[in-house]
Amino acid sequence: MLLRLSLPFVGALTSLVCASAIAAPITVTDIAGRQITLDAPAERVILGEGRQIYLLGMLEPDAPLAHVVGWREDFSQADPDNYQRYLERFPEMASIPTFGGFKDGTFDVEQAASLNPDLILMNIEAKAATEDAAYDDKLAELDIPIVYVDFREDPIENTIPSMRLIGQLMNDEAAAEEFITFAEAQLARVTEVIEQANPERPRVFVDRAGGYSDECCMSFGPANFGEYVTLAGGTNIADGIIPASFGNLNPEQIIAANPQHVVVTGGSWDAYVPGGDWVGVGPGADQAQAREKLQALTTRTAMTGIDAVETGNVHAIWHQFYNSPYYFVAVQQLAKWFHPELFEDLDPEATLEELHDRFLPIDYQPGYWITLHDE
Amino acid sequence: MMSNANVAHPTAGRTFYRAQVWRRQLILVGLTLALLLSLCVDLALGPARFSLAEVVAALVTPNAVSQQARVILWDIRMPVALMAIVVGASLSVAGAQMQTILSNPLASPFTLGISAGASFGAALGLAFGVAIIPTAIEYVVPINAFLMAMFTAFLIHALSLKRGVTVETIVLLGIAMVFIFNSLMALIQFFASQEAVAAVVFWTMGSLTKATWPKFWIALGVLALVMPLLARHGWALTAMRLGDAKAESMGVNPRALRLEVLVLVSLLAAIAVAFVGTIGFIGLVGPHIARMLLGEDQRFFLPGSALCGALILSVGSVLSKIIIPGTIIPIGIITSLVGIPFFLFLVLNHKKAAW
Repeated sequence: MLLRLSLPFVGALTSLVCASAIAAPITVTDIAGRQITLDAPAERVILGEGRQIYLLGMLEPDAPLAHVVGWREDFSQADPDNYQRYLERFPEMASIPTFGGFKDGTFDVEQAASLNPDLILMNIEAKAATEDAAYDDKLAELDIPIVYVDFREDPIENTIPSMRLIGQLMNDEAAAEEFITFAEAQLARVTEVIEQANPERPRVFVDRAGGYSDECCMSFGPANFGEYVTLAGGTNIADGIIPASFGNLNPEQIIAANPQHVVVTGGSWDAYVPGGDWVGVGPGADQAQAREKLQALTTRTAMTGIDAVETGNVHAIWHQFYNSPYYFVAVQQLAKWFHPELFEDLDPEATLEELHDRFLPIDYQPGYWITLHDE
Repeated sequence: MMSNANVAHPTAGRTFYRAQVWRRQLILVGLTLALLLSLCVDLALGPARFSLAEVVAALVTPNAVSQQARVILWDIRMPVALMAIVVGASLSVAGAQMQTILSNPLASPFTLGISAGASFGAALGLAFGVAIIPTAIEYVVPINAFLMAMFTAFLIHALSLKRGVTVETIVLLGIAMVFIFNSLMALIQFFASQEAVAAVVFWTMGSLTKATWPKFWIALGVLALVMPLLARHGWALTAMRLGDAKAESMGVNPRALRLEVLVLVSLLAAIAVAFVGTIGFIGLVGPHIARMLLGEDQRFFLPGSALCGALILSVGSVLSKIIIPGTIIPIGIITSLVGIPFFLFLVLNHKKAAW
C-alpha cells in the first residue's frame, strides 16, 4: 500500500526537481494556434506520430532519439525504407516504447502518463480525436502539455513554423533556423524563376499512388502535391474538380484534359500489395524495375493518346514527399521536368544530397524519382 | 391478390385477369424503354464533350473516329454503363428472391452478410495483399471478395440444414454474420496503412469504374445462367409467398427450394459485389418497387425486379458522373440518396399493404 502510493509521488517530485533545476518557462504558439506555457528545453518527449522524427532528426542529427521516451508506431509501417536506415544508424530505436494502433488519436493516455514526459508532440490531424477523448484535459491535469505540429496537412505553410516551434521547445533554435533558411532558399530557387519568367504552364496529372489498386485514378486537389505542381509552374488538371486534398478523377477526364505531364507517386509497397503495379521509387530503389513498372502504367486506358505519353513526359516520384518536410526537393524536381529550359542549372539531386549531408542523420541514397523522358 | 367479388363471377374475373396481365406487360415494356433511355444518356454523357453525332459515329463505326473517342466510348463509358445494368439487375433479383424465400421484407444480400463477407475479403487483399487463393494480381481483390461472399452463403446454408432452424433463424444468422465481418473490417482498417484504408473505404462505397469488359461478361454470364433457373421455379416461388404450409399443399418442397434459391442468389450477389464493391440499397429496394408496380406473380415480379434494379443503378451511374463533372462520386452513395426519396414516395402512396 505504502509502495503503491509513494512511487508516483517520488516520480512527480523527481521531475519537479529536475525541471526546476535546468528549465525555464516559455510561452509558445503551436500550429493549432494554442498558447502553451511550458518548461523548456523539454527533456522527455513523446512523439504522437513516429514520423515526427523527420523534423527532430534535422535538429539533432547525432542523437535524434535522445529525448524521445515513447512514440507512435507508424514510421516502420508508412516509410519502411527510411525506418530501416534509421534503425541501422540508431539500433537503440527498437527499444523505445511504442503506442499501439496507427490511427490518429488511438493513444493510450495511461501509458503516456506513465512515461512521465515533459511534452507530447501531436500532429494536427490528431487534434479532433484527441479532444474528443478529452485526452488534452486528462494530460493537462498531469501537467503534460500537448503541442500540435504539422508537416502533412499543409506542408508548405506549416513545416517551417513547426520546425521553429520544435527548435524552441528542444533548445535547438539555431539548428532550426539553419534548416529554415536552407528550405526557404531552395524553394525560392523555383518560385522566383517561375514568377519572373511567367512561363506557359503545362497541364499536369498527378497519379497518386498509381498502380496501387486497379482503381483509376486517385489524385490531389489544390493542396499538397497539387500545390507543388502549381509552385513548380504547372497546372493541376484536378484543380476545380477535386475539392479537398485527396480525391478520384474520372478516367475519361484524364483523356479529355490531355495532360502534358503525368507524375506518378510511388514507393515500395510490397508489404501492402506484393507484386503490385506501383512504381517503387525511393531511397536505394531498383531503377530498372521502377522504370519498367512506370512504362507499364502508361498502357492503362486512362492514358490513351494523351500528350504526356506521346512525348514521354511520364515521371515517377517518391510518394512520401507528400508528408515530409523535404517538399521543396519535390517542387524542384517537378519544376525541372515541367520547364527544363528554365531550370537547366537546378540540380534537385544535389539539393537532396546537401539536405542529407548537412541536416539528416542518415546518408543519401539515390532513387527518389525517374522519368521516361530521356529515353 | 384479386378481390373475392371478381372470383364470384367467372367472366368478370377472366376479364380482370386479362386486363391485369396486359397492364403488367405494359409496365415491363415501360421499364425496358426507360432503361434503354438511361443507357443512351449514360453513354452520351461524360467529361469529354462529344456531340451526339460523334457518339453515334463512335458506336456504329468505331474505326472511323479518333482513337480518343473510340477508347472513351468503348473502353471507359460502355463497360461502366453496361455493368451498371447487369449489377443492378443481379443485386435486385438476389434481393427479390431472398425476400421471397425468407418471407422477410428486410432480406437482401446485405442482411445475410454476403456483402459484408465480400468487403472483408476485399479489405484483406487491399490492406495486406492477402490472396485467399493465389491468382493474378489484378484479380486478388474480386476473387477474395467472391470467395468470402460464397463462404458466408455456404455457412448460412450449412447452418440452415440443421434441425429446428426456421426462416427467422436464417435472418438472425445473417445479421450475426454482418456484425462479425464489420468488426473484422474495422480491425483491418485499424492496422492498415493510410493508403490502404483509403482504398478499403473507397471499395466499400462501391464504384462502377472498376468495370472492365471481362468482368462485364462474367457478370452477364452468371446472370444469364441464374435467371432461367429461377424462372423455372416461378410458380413454386409465387406459392411460397402464401406460407410454407400452403406451398407444401400445392406440391412445393419449401426447404429444398429455399436452399437451391439461396445458393443461386448468393452467386448472383457475390459476383456483383466482388466486381463493383458494396452497393447497398438496390437489393432491398429494387424488389420492393417491382412488387408495388407488378405484384407477387413471379412471371412479372422476377423480370420486373431485374429491370427496376438495373434502372436505378443506370440512373445512378449517370448522376454519379454529372454531379461534379470530372470526378465520379461513388455509386453506392448516389443510389441511396436518389433512390430513397423515390422509394418513400412509393411506400407512402401505396394503397395496399405490400407485406
